[in-house]
Amino acid sequence: MKLNIIAVISLIVLTSIFDTINQLFLKSSINSLNWKVDSVKKIFALIARLLVTPRVWMGFFFCCLSLSVWLFVLSKADLNFAFSADSMHYIFIAFSSSLILKEKVGARRWVGTIFIVMGITLLTISKKG
Amino acid sequence: MLNKRLTFKIILFLIASDLLETAAQYCFKRTAMSGSDFFITNFSDALFFLKTCLLSPFIWLAFVMIFLTFIIWSTILSKIDLSVAVPVASFSYILVPLTSIFFLHEKVTMLDWTGILFILTGVIFVCTSTEKGATG
Repeated sequence: MKLNIIAVISLIVLTSIFDTINQLFLKSSINSLNWKVDSVKKIFALIARLLVTPRVWMGFFFCCLSLSVWLFVLSKADLNFAFSADSMHYIFIAFSSSLILKEKVGARRWVGTIFIVMGITLLTISKKG
Repeated sequence: MLNKRLTFKIILFLIASDLLETAAQYCFKRTAMSGSDFFITNFSDALFFLKTCLLSPFIWLAFVMIFLTFIIWSTILSKIDLSVAVPVASFSYILVPLTSIFFLHEKVTMLDWTGILFILTGVIFVCTSTEKGATG
């Protein structure tokens, strides 16, 4: 039995939002540590620090939510369609990076992001035909 | 202040993280396929679905890959902006069709090439937005 298209799209939006929240938590934790990674040892030290940061675990919680919804979508929807709809999360990331993380997302980065979303959509559409 | 420029080394890291994530996605799909024969209408159905998933060996393989991806991804994020890392990671969308073109000699439509070109253009735009003097 298949779910209707609106339900599938809403679930994909939900999984994209959860995933964006996860990325924001992780990136903001890394930003706040202000770690300079220049050796393998430093990488593992960074991972160790991240694993004891509550915000990373909050991100992980959202990652699990996103994953559960995504698993459910994959079991019900066409993989190509799911992936093309999921490409909207690039837009969410660009928006939230500039609003919440105060990254400087200029015109060039926006144009690039939109090109990528269109490209992914074209690739996935072509797989269906 | 940290150097936010996207270097060749970071691009290699991004590709590694892409490959691992693709492998993890494949494992998740295999997991989900084992549960596609039932329709979830209530909470106990959902729990049963989750239980079936957790019993699949593929999901555990996927978890290992996700942890490795986490290590690589954290390293990447300690060096560049999130709004650069995420779009550039979309490179994997090109890697898969290109692999099937060159190694599996699959037929590629005009629409495929257009899609690949769009993604490539987008990635180049995002990459060059980190260069010195660019406004972002």
